[in-house]
Amino acid sequence: MKKILSLFLVLVLAMSVSSAAFAEKKEVKIAFITQSLENASQAFAWSQFQEYAPQYGFTPYLFEEGYDPQKGVAAIGTCIAEGFAAISINPTDPSAMIPSFMEAQKAGVIVGMYSSEVPEEFKQYRDFMCGTNDIICGEVAAQTLMEAFPEGVKVVEVGGQSGHDAQIKRHNGFFDTIDPAKVTVLDSKNCPRWSSDDAMNIMNDFITLYGDEIQAVYCHWDIGATGCIEALKAANLLEGVYVIGVDGCMIGYDQVIEGTQQLCIGQNFTRMTTDTLDTIQKILNKEPYDEVTFTALDVVTPANVSTFPYPKW
Amino acid sequence: MRNENKLLRFINQNLVLLGIIVLVTVTAVIQPKFLMTRNLTNILRQMTSLAFVALGMTFVIIGGFIDLSVVGMVSLVSVITASLINPIGQVGALLCGLLAGALLGYLNGTILTKFGATIQAEVLFITYGMSSVFIAVGLLVTNAETLRIARSTRPYDMFTAIGSGSFLGIPISILIFAVILAIMYFFQTRTLAGRSISLMGGNKTAAYLCGFNINRTMQMVYTINGLMSAFGSIVLMSRVTTATATLGTGYEANAILCVVVGGTTLAGGKGNVLRTLLGVFLITLLSNCMNLLGLSTYMQTVMNGAVLVTAIWLDNRKRL
Repeated sequence: MKKILSLFLVLVLAMSVSSAAFAEKKEVKIAFITQSLENASQAFAWSQFQEYAPQYGFTPYLFEEGYDPQKGVAAIGTCIAEGFAAISINPTDPSAMIPSFMEAQKAGVIVGMYSSEVPEEFKQYRDFMCGTNDIICGEVAAQTLMEAFPEGVKVVEVGGQSGHDAQIKRHNGFFDTIDPAKVTVLDSKNCPRWSSDDAMNIMNDFITLYGDEIQAVYCHWDIGATGCIEALKAANLLEGVYVIGVDGCMIGYDQVIEGTQQLCIGQNFTRMTTDTLDTIQKILNKEPYDEVTFTALDVVTPANVSTFPYPKW
Repeated sequence: MRNENKLLRFINQNLVLLGIIVLVTVTAVIQPKFLMTRNLTNILRQMTSLAFVALGMTFVIIGGFIDLSVVGMVSLVSVITASLINPIGQVGALLCGLLAGALLGYLNGTILTKFGATIQAEVLFITYGMSSVFIAVGLLVTNAETLRIARSTRPYDMFTAIGSGSFLGIPISILIFAVILAIMYFFQTRTLAGRSISLMGGNKTAAYLCGFNINRTMQMVYTINGLMSAFGSIVLMSRVTTATATLGTGYEANAILCVVVGGTTLAGGKGNVLRTLLGVFLITLLSNCMNLLGLSTYMQTVMNGAVLVTAIWLDNRKRL
């Protein structure tokens, strides 16, 4: 009886071990490492990974930096140790991640940038990039502004969180594109945080300084643009002021529909996510793939807003 | 000699006021637009939400404690209030928001007393943890989305009035603050409960031996702070017309800064709600002046830090 019981136990153990090994072999783990889920766009991006990754046979896992690059480094270490197939990362500080990227690549983990890019000299340490470059957001804002005001325009810039990667790129993209002969930047100031309250305070101070001289406002994010719009409204200056916001969230679309925001530069996170998953699959299947896939920006204006699907975030 | 001493004592006791006068004069000379009515109204509107939070924080610091959860309370109350406008109407949403703030504060006080947190370091970490919890609850409720008051299908004009309305040229939010400040001043200086906070902050053992219930006083202090944070949250939300789980980020540090600059000692026991108001005014003014003078955001952060360090240094000098 004892022998039969022992044999049975050994069989059960062997079956469970083999099934676990089989399951582990089958699961293709991919990581989405993001700056913070407090950022609505990143929370939505994660929901898209959860929705679409299973269709590719991937299991998505989330790691959050909490705006601390050290946590991103730790997350990559975990992914290497646990045998992840790929990581898709939107880091707080891309440059700080380079040594970790090198380690990941050495361990055979696919490294993909999501909605951000590493500096030019480090591009060999990531396998691919999918998304929009924040520099392009700034460029589109500048180009659209110059088209809207061919005779010239006076603009103020309300920047995002001072020193943040997106803030720097959206600022640089804009300033590198504007034609100084046509666009006069009256003033430019960054917020201490991505907070509409801070954007509103800065806008109020711009109104005090420049009043009705302001013809356009370039705000680095749609919810910040809400603060700018409220400040302009309170000063009875909103009419005729061309407000630009970046992100493409529900609030940005609402403001375009209402006519209080004239341009919303939208990032399509669903497309960005599926592009990422496509690329990971191609690399795993050893198929040719594009090292850089730029997700086209949605340039949303009151004239074409109805042609875009209403955002889910 | 006696006159010199009097002058020094006057300067020492009114440094914040003198700072405000110097700041106003310098900025007005360099940038005359500073004195425009619109700018002065803006300063008043900007300071109100922070003033409410700093008012609550004054009681906490006088009581010998600290509260880092105010940012969590501000964000969660804004989310609760904004999401209740549609189901129960604006008056109900406003009252629920205020009640939620008081309850969150009470929860903080209860946790602190049950965990036996007696020193500031323990209180600091527990309230920091609670802040994360409140923010996370807000994120769960909203799914990290920003709620916009204008999306409400029911009337929300009361919030519009709080955020941007004025009466006889004075912002309504300031009028509400003035009433609450008067009540809080009366409470602090004319009631036994108010005075017991100072006694507890000055010497807990003495307060206990005098028969005061320390735990109950602590719960009361944190409940007041929660309620004031709720007022601040509603004013802020009404002003920017949106509510998010991250609304009010940085308010904990700014509120402590205003309270300390206002002269409330970090060691507890001493402080005054009216002086906190001066602290709030100075900090808001500083930000406004630096913007008008074209100083960068980095420089503003340096200045805020320098003001805090100076205020603590002066406070320590006074106590020596």
